[in-house]
Amino acid sequence: MKPPLTTAVLVFTAVAAAQPPVAPTPEPVGSPRGENVSNYNIMNSFETGYRFRTFGGSFEQYRSTVNYGDGIRLFSSFLTINSKDGHGKYFDDLSLTTQGLGNDPYESATLRIQKNRLYRYDMVWRLNDYYNPGLRTGGAAGFHLLDTEYTTQDHDFTLFPQSNVKFFLGYSRGNQNGPALSSIQLFGSTGNDFPLFENVRRVRNEYRIGNEVHFRGVRFTWMRGWEGFKEDSNFFSDANPGLVKNNSTAITSFARDEPFHGTSPYWRAGLFTEGKYFAANGRFTYTSGRRGFVLDENAAGTGRFGVELARQIVTAGIAQRPALTADLTLSFFPTSRLTVTNHTAVHNIRINGDSSFAQFDNATLSVSYVAFEFLGIRTVANETEANFQATRWLGFYGGYQYSDRQIRSIEQSKTGTNLFNAPSEQSNALNSGTFGVRLRPLKPLTIVFNGDIGRSDHPLTPIADRNYHDLGARVLYKAKTFQLSASTRANYNNNSVSLATYSSHSRNYSANAAWTPRDWFSLDAGYSKLHLDTLGGITYFASAQSFQGQSLYISNLHAANLTARFDIRKRADLFIGYSHTQDTGSDQGPVSVTIAPGLSGPPSAIFAAQTFPLTFRSPSARFSLRFTEKLRWNVGYQYYGYNERFYNSLDFRAHTGYTSLLWSF
Amino acid sequence: MEQVGLRPLSCLLFLLPLSAIAQTGAGPGYVGNNVCRTCHPDVWSTFYKNPHYKSVASGKEAPEQTGCESCHGPGKAHVEAKGGKATIVAFSELQPKAILDNCLRCHAETLSRANIRRSSHTLNDVVCTSCHSIHKSPVPKFLLAKQQTTLCYGCHAEVRAQFSMPFKHRVNEGFMTCSDCHNPHGAPAPTWRMAARPRMTDQALSNEEPCLKCHSEKRGPFLYEHEPVRVDGCETCHYPHGSTNSRLLRRPVVFTMCLECHNGAGLGRQGAGVLPITGSHNLADPRYQNCTTCHVRIHGSNSDALFLR
Repeated sequence: MKPPLTTAVLVFTAVAAAQPPVAPTPEPVGSPRGENVSNYNIMNSFETGYRFRTFGGSFEQYRSTVNYGDGIRLFSSFLTINSKDGHGKYFDDLSLTTQGLGNDPYESATLRIQKNRLYRYDMVWRLNDYYNPGLRTGGAAGFHLLDTEYTTQDHDFTLFPQSNVKFFLGYSRGNQNGPALSSIQLFGSTGNDFPLFENVRRVRNEYRIGNEVHFRGVRFTWMRGWEGFKEDSNFFSDANPGLVKNNSTAITSFARDEPFHGTSPYWRAGLFTEGKYFAANGRFTYTSGRRGFVLDENAAGTGRFGVELARQIVTAGIAQRPALTADLTLSFFPTSRLTVTNHTAVHNIRINGDSSFAQFDNATLSVSYVAFEFLGIRTVANETEANFQATRWLGFYGGYQYSDRQIRSIEQSKTGTNLFNAPSEQSNALNSGTFGVRLRPLKPLTIVFNGDIGRSDHPLTPIADRNYHDLGARVLYKAKTFQLSASTRANYNNNSVSLATYSSHSRNYSANAAWTPRDWFSLDAGYSKLHLDTLGGITYFASAQSFQGQSLYISNLHAANLTARFDIRKRADLFIGYSHTQDTGSDQGPVSVTIAPGLSGPPSAIFAAQTFPLTFRSPSARFSLRFTEKLRWNVGYQYYGYNERFYNSLDFRAHTGYTSLLWSF
Repeated sequence: MEQVGLRPLSCLLFLLPLSAIAQTGAGPGYVGNNVCRTCHPDVWSTFYKNPHYKSVASGKEAPEQTGCESCHGPGKAHVEAKGGKATIVAFSELQPKAILDNCLRCHAETLSRANIRRSSHTLNDVVCTSCHSIHKSPVPKFLLAKQQTTLCYGCHAEVRAQFSMPFKHRVNEGFMTCSDCHNPHGAPAPTWRMAARPRMTDQALSNEEPCLKCHSEKRGPFLYEHEPVRVDGCETCHYPHGSTNSRLLRRPVVFTMCLECHNGAGLGRQGAGVLPITGSHNLADPRYQNCTTCHVRIHGSNSDALFLR
């Protein structure tokens, strides 16, 4: 059987996808295959081999950033079975792909089976072995570590996928399990901080059922779903002197159970119709979330003055969150050159709940209250946009958006007969405009200029968009063997009120080129500069003094990547690549802060946080040799180097690689 | 001698389609797939693997909705002219809007594509064939022209740079794809932000930020919500793609990020607005420079208004 071109392309890509862990690239290796069996065409490939790594420096940071280990893997597998006439007995199309099975930190499998007109089934399964060494400040060790395995799976079944009446069934599940390290402050604000072991156990299940009906040009879809989530993580610690030195507060034992279980049943509905001059679609979603929780915490230890302490905290309650969302999009096509769209969105979410809180110190009730909390967010947004193609080479678009948001909050608590009640409300309106120009002076060349300008009156946070503008340009040249794209974007935001100012400036420049002059050689190169500087006014305490200062952050990121592929006489493939990321920080030095007369300077950590220069580089190489039509040998290598300029406790360098055999048949 | 030998072959190749037209008896201008395959065997030989083959396998669709001519239009003039891009709907010759309209004749009705006409991609002339290759797709699903990340990185080089940072979501590693969080066909206005920014972000259950699809423990509802999480979304504190800072934070040091909102100006911001609490700790003490050491439930808590447990 002479394999057709498309078959070859499919297999090439499957093989290319087989090796992303070491050097994620799309370059083709492997050879075309495909066998006809009965009424089906079957393509299959397996790549299995051994992965190795050596490293120096911070193993924790390596695990957080890269995390590949030693051992045998099924790097990838690929299977497709297609019926040749579209009338298979049980199915017409089956495709199964896997990646990293057998110990890689990133594993996945996807499956699709379908029979024309009768059914379609899609499955995605993924696993992420995630490790986080914890937050670090000034190079010091953090306290929140995470070493969990997260798996997620999605199953979707469609009955009669090509008919006017379809039915949907679906199931999704997510699990997160593993050890973690958390922390807690105990025995008052002058107490101590203690590390806690946490046994993370989280499960999410979602079931859904739906239907779609197409009748007289109108398509109506509905779906009913039930999402359940439960967390049964528990926390504990043996005797511990605490993290803060020169503090006599210590614990002798600590245990906390904090289960919370809940459901989020939901309805979704959608409507769609399209005619010659208009189209309309609407979407409605209602979710009624509800979660019940209990907390039982027991701590025993010694206080600051050597007094033995025992504390129990018991909390129980229910939180609810009904959320309603409705969207309506109307599109008009008065001429073939003009499209006008109007989009209206309404979102209303209310989060409320109550709980009882009781704290017992040395077996005596010391604090008890009942709390009620409410947070409501209602947003209405409307957007009208016109898209006009003036000539074959010139087009315009522009639009206006208005959003109105109301945020309401109620904090209530009752201690005995004392009632605390703090309602608050904030209204926020945003007016913004967008515009853009498209140019196609040559068929393969597209040039786009666009912008966005907005004015918001009362954003919730000082760092949110308030007075902003966003300007960008993009160029794309796409020829048969060469593609060049370049873009620039500047985003300025100024959020200033009477007592605080905040501004951010980001400027991005990037370019990417892909060149395939010969079928045996291709080159891909890219460069990006991402600049960000923010400046915010802050007030803080240090050594019992109040400072009015500034929080400055400057990041100048340069990222470059280069890949080259050589196909050597149709028998071997050589791939080399290099990725370089460098934040050069700021050369301006620390920015001064305002210090009241007679006060000492602010903590050095304020200056240390202004920039965070580092370098992360990763050269790689891969070689693939064809032994026979059905067998290839692959070998790959990738280096990772991470280096911070100010601190070096997290620096690492790692050599990773693999060797594998690929069978295709 | 060689030319003489080729001439009958040419005639035969030309006559075959014409005879096929006579046999199919299709509607005006439509010739049927059997005619197309005569001159385009390379496309037809593997077309049974193409999702569009369903229209052929069905055998019940109208000529304008079957196989080649469902996209390329009636082929009669094309055959009579012995080929040529001027006599048929050739996508390489179409304007972007025409490509979009052509595909949307069948594909508009899926709800996930309902906002495609107002998507940023459409507004910037990125249409179906910019990302999809109908006849030479190298991936088993969705007929993408390249692997998804390669496609997206081709224009969004700055995003490639973000995913190359030391702390990032595992997209390059194959654990995630861009479309886990984004809808390249356009999405409704986000519920967690104002106006229509961002436009291309897919939404999770309850139309929340897509982050909550996986980080479901942060969905809540919590009795004590950290308001910015619900009002302005996760990117108030995190960069979603990648960062040089641990946990994708926007700042290398936690307390500066917290102080930029809890900046001591809360009382003057809007009178009776939702107030950010002013920090009152001694920041000269390293103990207080890592806020989340004590405020561990910073995304929301059921037990403590200050997120201490």
